[in-house]
Amino acid sequence: MEQKTAPAPDRRRLKFLVGGSLIALALIGLVVFAMTRPNATSFYMTTTEIQAAGASEPSGDVKVNGDLVRDSVVEEGITTTFDISDGSSQLTITTDSTLPDAFYSDSDVIEIIAQGEYDGDTFTATQVFAKCPSKFKAQT
Amino acid sequence: MLVALVFSLLAIGAFIAAGRTGRRDLSEAGKRALYATFGFTALATISLVSALLAHDFSLNYVANYTSRSLSVPYTISALWGGMEGSLLFWTTLLTGFSALAIAKAPARRSRLIGGAGAVLMAIAGFFLFMVAFPGNPFAQVTGDVPIDGNGLNPLLQSPGMIIHPPLLYTGFVGFSIPFAFAIGALFTNRVDDSWFVATRQWTLFAWTALSVGIVLGGAWAYTELGWGGYWAWDPVENASFMPWLTATAFLHSVVIQEKRRMLKVWNVTLIVLTYAFAVFGTFLTRSGLLSSIHTFSEGPIGKYFLPFLALLLIGGLGMVAYRLDALRSENRLDALISRESAFIANNVLFVAAAFTVLWGTIYPIVAEVSSGIRLSVGPPFYNAIFTPIGLAIIGLTGIGPLISWRRMSKGAFWRMVRVPLAAGGTTVVVLGVGGLSSPGALLSFALVVFTATAIIGEFVRGSRVYRRRDDLGAFTALNRTIARNRRRYGGYIVHLGVLLIVIGFAGNAFKVERRADMAPGDTLDIAAYTLTYEGVRTATTPEKEILEARLSVSRGGDDLGPMRPQRNLHLAQGQWQSEVAIRTNPIEDLYVVVTGFDTDGSAVIRTFVNPLTWWIWAGAAVMLSGMLVIMSGRAPVTVTSVKRAPAKRAPAVAR
Repeated sequence: MEQKTAPAPDRRRLKFLVGGSLIALALIGLVVFAMTRPNATSFYMTTTEIQAAGASEPSGDVKVNGDLVRDSVVEEGITTTFDISDGSSQLTITTDSTLPDAFYSDSDVIEIIAQGEYDGDTFTATQVFAKCPSKFKAQT
Repeated sequence: MLVALVFSLLAIGAFIAAGRTGRRDLSEAGKRALYATFGFTALATISLVSALLAHDFSLNYVANYTSRSLSVPYTISALWGGMEGSLLFWTTLLTGFSALAIAKAPARRSRLIGGAGAVLMAIAGFFLFMVAFPGNPFAQVTGDVPIDGNGLNPLLQSPGMIIHPPLLYTGFVGFSIPFAFAIGALFTNRVDDSWFVATRQWTLFAWTALSVGIVLGGAWAYTELGWGGYWAWDPVENASFMPWLTATAFLHSVVIQEKRRMLKVWNVTLIVLTYAFAVFGTFLTRSGLLSSIHTFSEGPIGKYFLPFLALLLIGGLGMVAYRLDALRSENRLDALISRESAFIANNVLFVAAAFTVLWGTIYPIVAEVSSGIRLSVGPPFYNAIFTPIGLAIIGLTGIGPLISWRRMSKGAFWRMVRVPLAAGGTTVVVLGVGGLSSPGALLSFALVVFTATAIIGEFVRGSRVYRRRDDLGAFTALNRTIARNRRRYGGYIVHLGVLLIVIGFAGNAFKVERRADMAPGDTLDIAAYTLTYEGVRTATTPEKEILEARLSVSRGGDDLGPMRPQRNLHLAQGQWQSEVAIRTNPIEDLYVVVTGFDTDGSAVIRTFVNPLTWWIWAGAAVMLSGMLVIMSGRAPVTVTSVKRAPAKRAPAVAR
């Protein structure tokens, strides 16, 4: 068990360094590759920020969040249109996707996160998330 | 009153941490104090459970998470349904596990016990502090005592939710034991193998609990959340996955330390990382730092956790650095083609995977703090990472067992891999001719077959010896093979389970989704199925208003019977909750959700066909049975006992 007939320590150390850096480089490469995949990362904005930024890139995937404006919900077939607000501005969102159960909760505040594209006027969402804080506990 | 009890625990915990630095009498005293800590913590938990059951709404916690109409099992499960209760539960598990582990550890190793006990009690002290002050579940309601409570979130009212969180906690907390023994060993400079030998069963147990917990979480998401998937790379899912990844690496690399006395530094580092990830997971869900379906609301808890985590990491890694000399390998890597290097490659991949998940999870925080940009990292990032890493791991799983320790000649290596390679190649040809053209899927299936063939080959080679020598039937020989070396063959069974799960993941690439607004009588075609909407049925129970969509399903003219997804209004919370209808078989799942009804009786139906999803749950059951085989054996099996009972058949695991 105690035999140590391996190459000289210097060479071993060099090999180790080279091998280690290759692995590290490959990993960094993989992460960079993955980060630049379409929709790997998406920006998160408030309604005010998105309106200030204007229309998103055609392929761009943006997330916008705000509170649901209670009486703005219109459902027509599978298309739903509603407004969200961050307190200072409102944004109209239209979507064909399924709305989560929390969207229909009767809680006072329903936080919405919509993911999709903004054309400078309406936000077309491919996915809508909703969360009502009262589900867990009143927020401080 | 109860708070006072918890207070006293704190004092005891502190005393232990101070007192247990060495000698045997001290370690005995520490043991007793540890048992007392566990006793009082358990008492607090029992009090909370009885308060829950008694509907004592003067307690804030009881009023917030239960109601009178809630059934008994869910009322008990409210213990971990909220932040404060779940912290108490965590602490109880921790002190209970500590008591067991310390009691079972060999008494003559009083220094190791002292070190480990001190670490465990320091951790327990932190958590007791949390439940005594910022997260006290016994806080009284301010103002009038409510007549009824808010009730448990209907999402959590599912059988899976009764066992998923305790299993995850068991997994997280279970890693405290090997972690504490490792640090204890470093602390007392007893850096031989005793720390992980003493805790091997704990590591296996914790890993199994964590694995099953993760799978159950996926199953819960699949059957309750109604989006047709089981894993979303949500930060909190990641939080349970990261310790799993490093723990898996640890399970593999301790084998090298045991067999070859190598990688000692690496192993201690891995267990420190695993535990840090486990605590990080506990912290993420409670900090309000990231929002997700799992998170409890923002509370005063987060600011305590971060220093604790930092302390764990700096303390743990600092100890490793301090004892670096004592942790030198006694052997070196001999050759590139050797089982050691396969194990090392496995470790590199798992740890790399864990850190990329960590990167994806915290990148949004990093970006916001550093540049004020708020963004989120989505599934495409993780898929791009995990496809290559996962496939490489699968391939290694096949190659690893085929090569020998130390070194192997290229010729011998070739003789071992040629059959599995041929099987993998055949798979590509067969599936390719069969019309499968996606290169990713072809490669996945080919690697799965390659590795499965390699593992089955191991079973065949192992049992052939017995068949030849003792003239046994194939089945008896196989049983004996497994019984003789449960760790090895149990491990292979776990690997086979993983392969089945990978088949399920690969099938996910072929999922189909349709969505339609259907009036009664309308039909919807998806894949080979036809769904006919017949109408809505309504009913009311004390807890909820039920709206049920009545659908009939046929496939190529054959009637397959009804499917009845529901959309229910839970009255206590005023919250809508979908109940999914799933028709499952090994080939594909037909998954139907109703997302809304109109007053004219039409319904919005969302449906998926998820190929091969069944294999995920089947694979998990196989993994579990493999783990039971491993754990049913005593630590390293000696070859002396000639007659051994055939391996206990792992019980069929009902999901």
